[in-house]
Amino acid sequence: MQRRTLNIIFFLAAVALVVAAQAGLLDNYTLTILMFMGINCMFAASLNLVNGYMGEFSCGHAGFMCVGAYVGSLMSVGLFTSSKLFGAPLLPPELAPFLFPLVLLAATLVSALFGLIVALPSFHTRDDYLAIITIAANYIIISIVENIDAIGGPRGFSGMKKTINAMHGVIDIPWMLIWVIISTVVCITVLYRLVTSTYGKGISAVCQNEVAAEIMGVNTNRVKIMAFMVSSGMAGLSGALYAHVYGYVNAQAFNILKSTEGLVMVYLGGMGSLSGVLLAAIVFTLLIEMLRFFIPMLNDALHALSLLPADLEVSQIWKWVIIPLVLILLMQFRPEGFFGNRELTHIFPRLRRWIYFR
Amino acid sequence: MALLEIQGLTQRFGGLQALTDFSIDIGDHDLVGLIGPNGAGKTTVFNLVSGFYTPSAGSIKFAGTPTRGLKPHQVTALSLARTFQNIRLWPDMTVLDNIRLARYHRLGYTFLDAILRTRLYRAAERMAERRAMDILERMDMLDYAQDLPKNLPYGLQRRVEVARALATRPKLLLLDEPAAGLNSADVDDLIRYIRWVYDEFNISIWMIEHQMKVVMSLCQRLMVINFGQTIAKGSPLEIQSNPDVISAYLGDDVI
Repeated sequence: MQRRTLNIIFFLAAVALVVAAQAGLLDNYTLTILMFMGINCMFAASLNLVNGYMGEFSCGHAGFMCVGAYVGSLMSVGLFTSSKLFGAPLLPPELAPFLFPLVLLAATLVSALFGLIVALPSFHTRDDYLAIITIAANYIIISIVENIDAIGGPRGFSGMKKTINAMHGVIDIPWMLIWVIISTVVCITVLYRLVTSTYGKGISAVCQNEVAAEIMGVNTNRVKIMAFMVSSGMAGLSGALYAHVYGYVNAQAFNILKSTEGLVMVYLGGMGSLSGVLLAAIVFTLLIEMLRFFIPMLNDALHALSLLPADLEVSQIWKWVIIPLVLILLMQFRPEGFFGNRELTHIFPRLRRWIYFR
Repeated sequence: MALLEIQGLTQRFGGLQALTDFSIDIGDHDLVGLIGPNGAGKTTVFNLVSGFYTPSAGSIKFAGTPTRGLKPHQVTALSLARTFQNIRLWPDMTVLDNIRLARYHRLGYTFLDAILRTRLYRAAERMAERRAMDILERMDMLDYAQDLPKNLPYGLQRRVEVARALATRPKLLLLDEPAAGLNSADVDDLIRYIRWVYDEFNISIWMIEHQMKVVMSLCQRLMVINFGQTIAKGSPLEIQSNPDVISAYLGDDVI
């Protein structure tokens, strides 16, 4: 009963959020940040399946997000809007709100297939060598996208706003917020159910002793395929949502820096801790947004104190110094992250009345 | 028909002949030992039988099924289980989870069942839980169900590993040096324990062991290999007085 209470609380909170957005209580900026929290939760939690639970080091996770972003964008633009690339919409735009889940599903499935690029080499390779393969996979995907001129190449691809406008044309409610909330809940539920089932614990078995897993009857190759495909599929889903929230995609947005963001979130939260990584994704999103204000403030302060020559600026580029720096400091001082591989309920046992991790 | 039939098994690693023309039959409810000096090729035999290597030549049949080309997890599904010389438990999973996962190949539900929590899933999970608790109860280890193996003493870890192997419901259990790293009091316990497992679960056991005390008091038959060659087979008493075995263990110049 009490465990259900938590679900009800979450449900009410989600409804409240949507209602508040509809009533105009939240400005667009706040809404965007909330949506990015959801997207980052999916991105980080899916990476955690491979890096935390399976103990492999994937550092090209953003590549799969890129696949999902482009597949989702191309489908939604092609199906629901008139564009230069695809011409007239293939389906009446009024169907957009109902068929958009199919677009998300397709993005998920195609990205899951791309996960095989990493899953298949993982049969014979692991650790550092597999990490190199994941980086290569990330770059392969980005280069492919950048070199297809029809979908914009390095200029990026846009037009997804029209799909969203089509949705708003049918019923005017905050559609993207709703899709992000639903997708996040689905992803987290799937991951939670997976890692708490005996079937999913095969993933941890592969991590903790692969030889023992194989000899105890776990089909380790199949477990790896499953984990990589689930992980990259969810990254793809987060990518498709990302593309629609922004209304514009560019392959370079999914380069190694984006993958690094994922790593920071996973290691900040604690490898193999679902609740830890979700918390980290939320904190990290806020942190990045705060940098947006903090860096100009720092710039002004340094200029005011004449610590910086007038012709030098502290720009937003410094974000890419600060994020890796967080990773370095984390590895130095708290390599296990917030929670290690424990869950929230191990640290606050009283929460067990509400939610239970096995 | 023997449970395990091995004929002319040969394994080469590059230029190294690790095992030459090895043959053995193991029947139902048999307790056989495999001994030999360090590097003789004993663990190679086990790795071949459990499917980690594909033999260069020769055949292995388990319960009538040739195992050539099968992956270790497929061999396990044929009801063969093994333990390792160095303990290979999953250190960060509870003892209960360790045992429960040994039912992995019998779970019988798919990814979607796990995600949707179907009736099939719930039934399989209940069954896995009950079987694991049964095993723990039979082996008198219920108290440790929620402990992490890495926090247990060494001797107990060995027992958890045996319990986990038994949870796959094997007909043949391969024990790779079960007495490694145990002191002499623990070794006496282990001998009683293996005998008890052998009777209680009505299985065949094939073990590699260095400590003569263990094999001499447990095994009905022994095989001795050295440099990959079978140098003797027979009852423990025959083996003890076999000059080839003595020279293999102690060196030629002693005789």
